[in-house]
Amino acid sequence: MTKHGWTGDRLVTALAYLGIALFAVACLYPLLMTVSVSFSSEREIARNGYSILPQAFSLDTYNYIFLNSGSRILRSYGVTILVTVAGTLGALLITSMIAFAISIRKLRYRNVLAFISNFTIIFSAGLIPWYMVSVNYYGLKNSLLALILPAIFNVWNMFLLRTYMSAISPSLYEAAEIDGAGHFRIFWQIAIPLSKTPLLTIGLMYALQYWNDWWHALIFITDRDLFPLQYYLYNILSNVNAISSGRIPSGAAGAITLPAETVKMAVTVITIGPIIFLYPFIQKYFVQGIMTGALKE
Amino acid sequence: MDPMVEQTQVQTQPRTKRGVIYELKRHRVLYLMSVPAMLMLLLFSYIPFAGIWMAFTDFNVVDGIFGSAFVGLDNFKFFFDTGGMGWKVTYNTLFINFWGIILGILVPVTLAILLHEVRGVAFKKMTQSMMFFPYFISWVVVGAIVYGIFSTDVGVANRVLELFGMDPIRWYSEPQYWKVIIIASSVWKWSGYSSIIYLAAMANFDGSLYESAKVDGATKFQRILYLTLPMLKPTIIILTLMSVGRIFYGDFGMVYGIVGNNPVLIDEVSVIDTYVYQSMRTLGFSYATAIGLFQSVMGLILVILANQTAKKINDGEGLF
Repeated sequence: MTKHGWTGDRLVTALAYLGIALFAVACLYPLLMTVSVSFSSEREIARNGYSILPQAFSLDTYNYIFLNSGSRILRSYGVTILVTVAGTLGALLITSMIAFAISIRKLRYRNVLAFISNFTIIFSAGLIPWYMVSVNYYGLKNSLLALILPAIFNVWNMFLLRTYMSAISPSLYEAAEIDGAGHFRIFWQIAIPLSKTPLLTIGLMYALQYWNDWWHALIFITDRDLFPLQYYLYNILSNVNAISSGRIPSGAAGAITLPAETVKMAVTVITIGPIIFLYPFIQKYFVQGIMTGALKE
Repeated sequence: MDPMVEQTQVQTQPRTKRGVIYELKRHRVLYLMSVPAMLMLLLFSYIPFAGIWMAFTDFNVVDGIFGSAFVGLDNFKFFFDTGGMGWKVTYNTLFINFWGIILGILVPVTLAILLHEVRGVAFKKMTQSMMFFPYFISWVVVGAIVYGIFSTDVGVANRVLELFGMDPIRWYSEPQYWKVIIIASSVWKWSGYSSIIYLAAMANFDGSLYESAKVDGATKFQRILYLTLPMLKPTIIILTLMSVGRIFYGDFGMVYGIVGNNPVLIDEVSVIDTYVYQSMRTLGFSYATAIGLFQSVMGLILVILANQTAKKINDGEGLF
């Protein structure tokens, strides 16, 4: 190998480290900024602007939030946790049952079931008809079910799980069948225990989707008591947006209590808190899920 | 094992000739297990199809979906000629998605290739975790972060401008910057995620090819250019086709989470999805349904085209 080649290789490696480090910092920087500002004193932030390190470290903002709107935030937390837990458990049950059924090769109409599922991905009626039937016929306006049901069955997750379940050897099922087990028992006692990892993966995907959802609340919920955490944050931020654009007359702006800088960031931190804590443990399951999805293609 | 399989097939052959009822009875438990999922699809995907009729009527609540006056294609005409924002929101949607797709290939592929060159395990693990994190936060939280950067008085961007002796910009009252900000946010949020897909593909590459290239004196750069990139090509093409199939669908959460209901900015970055939501309130259900239908039909056409292209390239295997 020529000397020239070696320097080139070193340059590539150095660039790789540099590029990766820069992008990684760009991904983490806003997060650190958010956390730092929430632990800063409001006066310093107003004077110096946002920064990566806390300015005059203080817990005042968090004290302020919990004194003034503590019950509201706790209530939103409760809504989000309830929706996330109930939604994820329901979604796992519904998704795994049909994924199991479609994975059974003996089932004559499994392709029909798969097609009915697939078609909803490629063609939909659009927002308005969906909204109309949900509100007028299913009574989902201002109902917690509006935050759970529309997202409870994800076709992609179902196909992901089916890919795993199809790999389970049919001879296992046949043996159980000879012993007199019905299909539901085979599902519950053989297929489910053998699919723990993919179930955990799609369970976490559902949980993340429910935790981060605010769109369904925007569409269906006007009752403040049913606001999930993300939508609570959205309301705080969009008030600020409307005011800083200067379109709202100053009189009206005075009527709306403008949340202080540190408060906005503190509510953001409260919203993503559980994700930050769980992130180190759950990350690898998402990576597995993505890789399986990618391999399927 | 083989005789077993043959035996069961022989047994099942005559059975398949029996009727639908027999099959449903025989596997009733399996079909019952599919019912909850099918019910959800029925409620939230299939029953709404009836509401498409609203697109061709002048809907009012008293007469209902099928009782309201039929107006033909008037709603679509309004969207594209008269007072509607048809061309504008379609352009915005395609513009934002086009750059989202281009940068959504360039950045993650570059990251994956660079990560592949990194040897330090701890460094690799840590940076990868950092890059994957934005995937886990909601668009509302991204909106909060964007505010932290572009807020006029306290935002980071204006401090940086100040540092270089430039005048601060009132970002939240200047619409022209927001398409770029939204595209950048999208790249920021998805690149770590997408790079994992490309890394997964690279993990399956034949290591001996690289070894022999090394023996032949190929530099790292040449190996990337003549081995890695050509081998990544199928993955890149498939992922691109999938995004192209969805190019008429704007990301509602992204646009609304970042811009919110800011009246100064929303027109500049309005995509079809956010426009449908806004029109529902101001211009009525029929008009909004018509726009949604236009989007779904364009989406369907593109998905079918993308799928056929994928089949051509991929030896008959489509996207679905």
